[in-house]
Amino acid sequence: MVVVRRRWFQAPWEFRESAVFTAIAVIAGFFIQVAASGRGIAMPHLPFNAIALSFLGIVVLSTGLAFRNTPAVKWFGSIPLGLCLILALAVLSLIGGIIPQQPVAQESLQVLLGLNQIFSSWPFAVTVLIFLANLGISLSWKLIPFKLQNLQFILFHAGFWIALSCAIVGSSDLQRLVVPINIGKANNLGYTMESDTPQHLPLSIFLHDFSLEEYPPQLLLYDPHNDKLLMNKAQAILEVRKGTTATWQGIEVLVLDYLPYALPGKDGVPQSADRKTGIPFAKVRIITASTQREAWISTGSPLLKPDAAQLDGLYLIMMPGTPKSFRSAVTVQDEKGHETMANLEVNHPVSFMGWKLYQMGYDEKAGRWSKLSLIEVIHDPWLPAVYLGFFMIMAGNILFFWNGIKRTEVVK
Amino acid sequence: MIINFNTAAELAIVCWAIGSLLSLLASRTPALKLPAFLLSVAGSLVMIGFIAFYWSALDRPPLRTLGETRLWYAALIPLVGFLVEYRWKIGWLKYYCMALATFFLSINILHPEVFDKTLMPALQSPWFVPHVVVYLVGYVLLAASSVTALHNVYLQVRKKGNNTGESVSHFLALLGFVFLSFGLIFGALWAKEAWGHYWTWDPKETWAFLSWLAYLGYLHAFRYKISQSKLQWYLALAFVVLLVCWFGVNYLPSAQNSVHTYTQS
Repeated sequence: MVVVRRRWFQAPWEFRESAVFTAIAVIAGFFIQVAASGRGIAMPHLPFNAIALSFLGIVVLSTGLAFRNTPAVKWFGSIPLGLCLILALAVLSLIGGIIPQQPVAQESLQVLLGLNQIFSSWPFAVTVLIFLANLGISLSWKLIPFKLQNLQFILFHAGFWIALSCAIVGSSDLQRLVVPINIGKANNLGYTMESDTPQHLPLSIFLHDFSLEEYPPQLLLYDPHNDKLLMNKAQAILEVRKGTTATWQGIEVLVLDYLPYALPGKDGVPQSADRKTGIPFAKVRIITASTQREAWISTGSPLLKPDAAQLDGLYLIMMPGTPKSFRSAVTVQDEKGHETMANLEVNHPVSFMGWKLYQMGYDEKAGRWSKLSLIEVIHDPWLPAVYLGFFMIMAGNILFFWNGIKRTEVVK
Repeated sequence: MIINFNTAAELAIVCWAIGSLLSLLASRTPALKLPAFLLSVAGSLVMIGFIAFYWSALDRPPLRTLGETRLWYAALIPLVGFLVEYRWKIGWLKYYCMALATFFLSINILHPEVFDKTLMPALQSPWFVPHVVVYLVGYVLLAASSVTALHNVYLQVRKKGNNTGESVSHFLALLGFVFLSFGLIFGALWAKEAWGHYWTWDPKETWAFLSWLAYLGYLHAFRYKISQSKLQWYLALAFVVLLVCWFGVNYLPSAQNSVHTYTQS
């Protein structure tokens, strides 16, 4: 067989031409980035971004269909170009996966090239744009004429096109603001991550109450000379409860009594108190080879000093448990008088007039006694479009899985 | 601790070892085939039982630490080996899978983790289990695909034809990719509920996207007229990206602020 080698840029174009084209596109992206002196891309807002995206979609689909036999368009919607673009996206993501992605104050080559904010940089934008064109053209060929056997291809590729394009184009319309509120107060000012100047919100949030639940406190043995916590023999985090036992080298500890909410009494014996003021106290029996004694220990609070038990230069201490859950009871109101009461908790956001409210944080120094709650409010008009893309990808994947399981014959 | 991990792990390893031995002997004595299979499966069942037990003892899904995810891999990866033997009549993969499971359990035996019942609020979500388990299954399939591809490369070097092996690595990669996609999207849907946005280019997300792209690239290269023997190299190496994503991310400079770093204990 005589193998005729295809010359460079002789149709049909394949990997070599695609690789060169992609490389030029990425390098051009970096040039634009430098020319824009390190500033990333500024995306227009609604409705202009929606118009631009629809325009892109129409142009790509109609180009694919009108010139489906033209070598240039055939190549533009081909797998070789697609693969090179996937590789380019992977390389750019690799940069983003290694270099910390955060604004850096001082000038450097890295900042100039946008490597520290690669996902909003020009090279990334240019690559994504060409990728969307490549994906869209290949999609147009499978869309028309429609065949049922192409359904998996269509769902996956169209879903990816929609999710990717809407997520990127819609990022300019995403509003994320943090609203700090004290108990018994209302606030309608929110802060973005980037600036200290508050922005007015079309809604106001009143905080009725903030409450935080902790895991049980932990029993720890602290070695002050080496500033180290000593691991017990069972290799377990020791939750303090009545009857908890713990063993370290030559030391045995038994929790005789446990009061989750208590205050120091007059005679040194803690008395149960209410949830708001009380702190955890535990009565422990400490047994070493030579001695046995009992003591009260406590976690302490912003107002109360913790109590520890000293033994042979070591300290038996009780640490407050880590937060198990925290929630804010709020009333949200907008300017038109719509109002709703809600409990905000991590993983349980609440929707209100196109906004979503999230329990974000609190005053961590005050812990359980925090009077401050941080609520994040988010407005993302493009979310339904992105989710549509996600669900199409998943539907396509189910078909892909089904075909993959069914086909067992040897692939040639 | 109430449940002894070492006993369970050693029991599983013994099951796999004797199962493998009997399976090797079964080529001469076919009567050993069934006991070999039952013993090998029993090894995984021991681990699944342990995970269930551990789950109830912890009062939370044992999916929070790196060591806990290794438990799942150890339990699941031999199952892929059995599936491949059943579906594609390839017997050797299960030995690799059981060896890999033994390796994972050995790491856990050598580096015991602290028994810790706490689970931070963001992880207390109905998405936690599906997101991580789907990923685990995906990783397990892709690990098996990578092992198969490596074996195929070895056969190529020895100049032995091996069409079935190449199909197996392909189909495992295909199935793995499906699970990877689901894991990625479940993660995005969960992130929207817990952190307010479905995609923030968190280092772990970036690496998950990278590994997804790696297999997306493979599937397209496969569709195009690239020879499947060459792609075995690709499949064998693609798993490295997944390994970075699974635990390598913890050591990268970009991971300082990640929400995804596993608890190190």
